[in-house]
Amino acid sequence: MEVGEPQELLNPQNTTETEGSEVLAAVFSPLVRYDENKQPVEEAAESITTSDSKVWTIKLKSGYTWHDGTPVTAADYARAWNYAAYQDNAMASSYFFGRVDGYNDVHPGEGKTPTAKEMKGLKAVDDLTLEVTLTAPFSQFKTMLGYTAFYPLPKAAFGADGKVTQAYGEQPIGQGLFKVDKPYKKGTDQTIDMTVYDKFPGAKPKNWKKLQFKIYTSAETAYNDLQAENLDVDDSLPASAIASAKAALGDRYFDEPDAAVGYIGVPLKYNPDFKNPDVRKAISMAIDRKTITETVFSGTRAPADDFINPAIPGYRQGACTSCTYNPAEAKKLYDAAKGPSKIELGYNADGGHKEWIEAVANNLRANLNIEVTPKPFEKFQGILDALDAKEYKGLFRMGWSIDYPSAENYLTPIFGTGSIGTGSNYGGYSNKDFDELVAKGDQAADPAEGLKFYQQADDILIKDLPYIPVYFYRSNFGHSTKVKNVKLNLLNQVQWADIEKA
Amino acid sequence: MGRYVIRRLIQAIPVLLGATLLIFVIVFALPGDPIAALFGDKRPDAAVAEVLREQYHLNDPLLLQYWYYISGVLFRGDFGVNFADVPVSQIMAGKFQVTLNLALTALVMEALIGVGLGLWAALRRGKATDTMILASTLLLISVPTLVTGFVLQLILGVKLKQWTGADIFPVAGTFAGWRSYLLPGFVLAGTSIAYLTRLTRTSLAETLRADYIRTATAKGLPRRRVIGRHGLRNALIPLVTYLGADLGNLMGGAVITETIFNLPGIGNQLYTSVYLREQPVVVGIVTILVLIYILANLVVDLLYAVLDPRIRYE
Repeated sequence: MEVGEPQELLNPQNTTETEGSEVLAAVFSPLVRYDENKQPVEEAAESITTSDSKVWTIKLKSGYTWHDGTPVTAADYARAWNYAAYQDNAMASSYFFGRVDGYNDVHPGEGKTPTAKEMKGLKAVDDLTLEVTLTAPFSQFKTMLGYTAFYPLPKAAFGADGKVTQAYGEQPIGQGLFKVDKPYKKGTDQTIDMTVYDKFPGAKPKNWKKLQFKIYTSAETAYNDLQAENLDVDDSLPASAIASAKAALGDRYFDEPDAAVGYIGVPLKYNPDFKNPDVRKAISMAIDRKTITETVFSGTRAPADDFINPAIPGYRQGACTSCTYNPAEAKKLYDAAKGPSKIELGYNADGGHKEWIEAVANNLRANLNIEVTPKPFEKFQGILDALDAKEYKGLFRMGWSIDYPSAENYLTPIFGTGSIGTGSNYGGYSNKDFDELVAKGDQAADPAEGLKFYQQADDILIKDLPYIPVYFYRSNFGHSTKVKNVKLNLLNQVQWADIEKA
Repeated sequence: MGRYVIRRLIQAIPVLLGATLLIFVIVFALPGDPIAALFGDKRPDAAVAEVLREQYHLNDPLLLQYWYYISGVLFRGDFGVNFADVPVSQIMAGKFQVTLNLALTALVMEALIGVGLGLWAALRRGKATDTMILASTLLLISVPTLVTGFVLQLILGVKLKQWTGADIFPVAGTFAGWRSYLLPGFVLAGTSIAYLTRLTRTSLAETLRADYIRTATAKGLPRRRVIGRHGLRNALIPLVTYLGADLGNLMGGAVITETIFNLPGIGNQLYTSVYLREQPVVVGIVTILVLIYILANLVVDLLYAVLDPRIRYE
């Protein structure tokens, strides 16, 4: 299996990037997994119930043991989550626990000292029951629980100083399908080796026992290794190989929607030129998404037509009507709304965005008859800093990959008023109706009802276009002739138990 | 001689200090916050970022940070930790071995192929062989490493295995022992082989026209001895200079080759660390690279005396 080098040691609560998460997904068994209908179903949990979306009771399945043989208890979950949330531990995933009651006591924010070590909303009732109280109802809480940050930690993970040890990060003890064979020395080791854990109570692979993650720095090299059959599963084929991969791999090549979205961000808070929604609409209609996704991205992206990605429940095909290419209408609208005659398009030069930004610039130049300057920033952070400092007032490239597979995750973090300054609402969009609808969705008694409100909130975004959705990511993966039945879940993690040796 | 070596080594200290400070300042001057870089496109939680900045002394003035760093290196031999708390010395230890293996493979190939071809061309000067060798070196020089790397990987690594089933040149990694280094070693050596061929050819051709060669031939010495002892040995000085300086280049030039062949070496690490703004790792690697460069040059200077007894040190 191909993987990039994990950024941090293998500590679930400090891992928010995909590579490390992918490795940890093999070692841990999540509370919920996602079924074919993209719905969360209990995995390590026996049941997850609530009557008001505020107090959640998580019953654990008995029979789960840590790789050192000790049984998994509710206290192991409470301990891990409290550890993650506690400010001074500086865990990257701390914000995932922001909805749990008592989060502000353990994580009061920059410059303030925590007043408690544990969140009061987290209670291990007995060995197999965990009760979670949220600050406010959140109908999507169950969906969140499949994420890396919500894995438990065994007592053995902690050192005398109460911190997760270096040794644990190198050889994590999990309660999942695979046991890590030997410590992974980050920076030195090129593989992470694992063996099926015999006492794992869930589904196990039929006819194989050993799993090896091979770390690659270049996607092209990994693809060459796949072709030479030195690698069995490659779940991030390089764009340069897509055209030939279909022919070379045949039915071993897969192309599926991936939950991430690419936008053109609008600096509503920083530049009044874009205040009029018609200006945004005109810009959106002037972008030829189909050609960009097919030519610039050689088909590895799909034209965006909603704020919610097709991989996630709640997506509606063609929902964003002003995402359809219509240059004539765009020009009319833009002139009537008196849009700015000069536009800058900011992008970070480190992530392969130059080409599609240039293409968008050409579209806008040709269709709106305005001056458009693509403006490279070295890092994405540079754009944000320049926005914050009010030095930069142009449009900017923006991308979003989900934290948990719920429609809500495309709304609150990017467009919620509360996410200005603290979350990822970089444009500074603020709309009362939108915030209210999202809150109604959060408070809904069940996820399906919640989704209705999220879609209504989505409708407001489509009308307002605070950002301009341009493309949906797709995941392109392939496997060797030695294995079959390779599938990815909603988090783009390989479903190991399903794979069979061919 | 001993004095000369010691003087050279003492001269290295200010060079090292200067180089590390310079790199420290450059890495620091790059725009973007290293802590933010850890979080990708998402905004880091302000409190978490603050704790991390404090932990890694990122809030202190640059000179103080440099002092923390350099005092650790000088007094405790401690290169610090990266932003995932992994000791930099651990990160570097395994990687230098890989890059050294790669650089030595490349160096041996340069010496054997480069000098061999150059010798052959010099002896057949003006003939078809000579023209062919010159033309092929020109080709090698003009094609970028990136291209030779991927093309050879595809043909010899992937296609050869698909056609014949024989796994001779591994596509990636160091799993196959010394065989893993053959292909990347050749790719890395590529342009140097070409330069060395041309250098050998010119240098030898010039030497062969010298009076003492005519004398040696006139004395009735066998041709092998004339070319070997009198010709090649005298032509070697520019070649050794080139090879010595090239060892340093190879260590640094490994960035592309190591990425293509997924070798976990220093070039690969340097690239990742610059990207992630890991000052301690970048400065640590550069320090050692500078050291290797200085040592390689010293060895070259000392070799002159062996090759040409007229050169003396004091």
